[in-house]
Amino acid sequence: MLEALWEGLLLVLQWKAFGFMLLGIGLGFWVGLLPGLGGATTLALMLPFIYTMQPVEAFAFLLGMHAVVATTGDITSVLFGLPGEATSAATVVDGYAMTKKGEAGRALGAALASSLVGAIVGAVALAAAIPVVRPLVLTFGSPELFMLAIVGLAFIASLSGEGARGMVRGFIAAGLGLLLATVGQDPQAGVARFTFDTLYLWQGLDLVPVLVGIFAIPEIIDLFVRGNSIAGNAPPGKVAKGAWEGVKDTYRHFWLTIRCSLIGTFIGIMPGLGGSVAQWMAYGHAAQSAKTPEERKQFGQGDVRGVLGPGAANNSKEGGSLIPTVAFGVPGSTSMAILLGGFLLLGLVPGPDMLTKHVAVTYSMVWTIVIANVITVAVCFLFLDRLASITEVKGHRLIPVILVLVFIGSYTSNSHYADLLVTLVFGGVGYLMVKADWPRAPFVLGLVLGKIAENYLYISVARYEAAWLTRPVVVVLIVVALAVVIYPFFQMRRGARG
Amino acid sequence: MARNASLALAIGVALIAGYAAFAAKGWQWKAALFPLAIGIPLCCLAVIEVVCSFRDKRSAEEPATHGSALPWAWMGGFLALIVLLGFPIAIAVFVFGYLKLQSKEGWVMSTVYTAVLWAAFYGLFDYLLHLPFPAGWLLEWLGLA
Repeated sequence: MLEALWEGLLLVLQWKAFGFMLLGIGLGFWVGLLPGLGGATTLALMLPFIYTMQPVEAFAFLLGMHAVVATTGDITSVLFGLPGEATSAATVVDGYAMTKKGEAGRALGAALASSLVGAIVGAVALAAAIPVVRPLVLTFGSPELFMLAIVGLAFIASLSGEGARGMVRGFIAAGLGLLLATVGQDPQAGVARFTFDTLYLWQGLDLVPVLVGIFAIPEIIDLFVRGNSIAGNAPPGKVAKGAWEGVKDTYRHFWLTIRCSLIGTFIGIMPGLGGSVAQWMAYGHAAQSAKTPEERKQFGQGDVRGVLGPGAANNSKEGGSLIPTVAFGVPGSTSMAILLGGFLLLGLVPGPDMLTKHVAVTYSMVWTIVIANVITVAVCFLFLDRLASITEVKGHRLIPVILVLVFIGSYTSNSHYADLLVTLVFGGVGYLMVKADWPRAPFVLGLVLGKIAENYLYISVARYEAAWLTRPVVVVLIVVALAVVIYPFFQMRRGARG
Repeated sequence: MARNASLALAIGVALIAGYAAFAAKGWQWKAALFPLAIGIPLCCLAVIEVVCSFRDKRSAEEPATHGSALPWAWMGGFLALIVLLGFPIAIAVFVFGYLKLQSKEGWVMSTVYTAVLWAAFYGLFDYLLHLPFPAGWLLEWLGLA
């Protein structure tokens, strides 16, 4: 194995492969920064260019590009409260709150350092798990995957609100997200649900316009009303100085970062759940790590752990989702499905051959993920001062730029004017949620998980009827979901006694 | 504001969930299973939240929020410009208008800022990435597209 690992490294360091990787990193850097330009879309756009490349060069190019999108997507989330990628939305919650407190540098430092840790954990998992992952994936059928989605929702809904009332609001938000995910043509019976005879709604609500509306619009209004810069009244020059503090935060909460990386890797391995789910699960776990209710209140107000968790999970999921793609040809996400197309274009068949005949190519992917992230994080740190100083620019000069990005980002997801309307409508919902102190995270996770959860629930009921509830892993996951809901009350009671 | 916002949200969710459950009753079970499984408990939770919000005392210390209508007007205006004139023209008009009227910037600053932002938009999204930005409805109607 070590020999193959070394061979993989040498393959990536060949000048041509390395050059293509740098090109991919450059593209991925900007794709991540710009809202609306998705990593998956760019992978698809770049696919035709790999025809003439060798497999190692092609994967260095494609994976190099894809591996850094989540890292730089966090930058836009932290600085503007505008998710650069759908997979960077969870970073907005605490990252942008830190920026408003004048801690943009610290938030960016934490996001970048945790991204690097996450990428390395994901890559190590990819290297180590390939021989042993098959039984794990086969243990999880539709009932278990449905329950996994429910556990994720329970995590977020119970932890993002305060007390019993907060939990009710969290579950309402999650339920609303799940319900809105049913808009569009139902995949089982073909019924057009809640479409109101509108063709646009047949495909359902697209995630990007909704996310941009829910997160970015309330922040734009806040910036407008406050009338000063994003960093508010923080002393000039302070914003960029905390970057090193953010790096230290990653090591202060090292085990949290590792646990969130493992959550990301695990979600990445599970087909169909995807990176948008991983970040919120990790955020929920980070919130759960708060020892007291008072400490938990800090989440959403700018707690660095709320940046570390999603940052780590976002990047570790790449290594995780490559595992079923490479080993079984089962893509864990849209991006991986496109990458699978790349395998086939190059004449590589995922499966046993990738673990024997082409094992060096497989390990070259592991190295590409690690090297691409190291280079990106190093480049970001070089320009961190300049990036963070954007938050000192007066709001009235930033708002037109952010609004242009918001509308372009929303429009390019479907090239339909209705996307802009959806953005404004959900901007209104997001604004009310902020004012009413309702958590936005459960809503987004509900929307992300809705279609997946419905599909798994339907298969479970159609195949096993009620007996799916008695499967051992399902029972364990039900207990976990109940524990997640009950735990905050137990914690409050313990705190009251203390 | 917090109480009213919570009440508005809870009433809205209760109505949406109630409607979803009612509409789903007429569909095949395959299509109705999930909306019913979510809609009914969601409606109950939302009604609980409505009742709780009604019982909440209106806080005297809640600061009234002023000026949030204006940003909505700017965003609505920008949306209307995009639909009528298309992205390239709408961006130039909106950015210049916002800087001049809202930010009270000078002519030089407004012009240079708008030109730079427009060039960045055009160079990246149109020239390099060839993303499709159709001409606005007004230009099409006038035959100028």
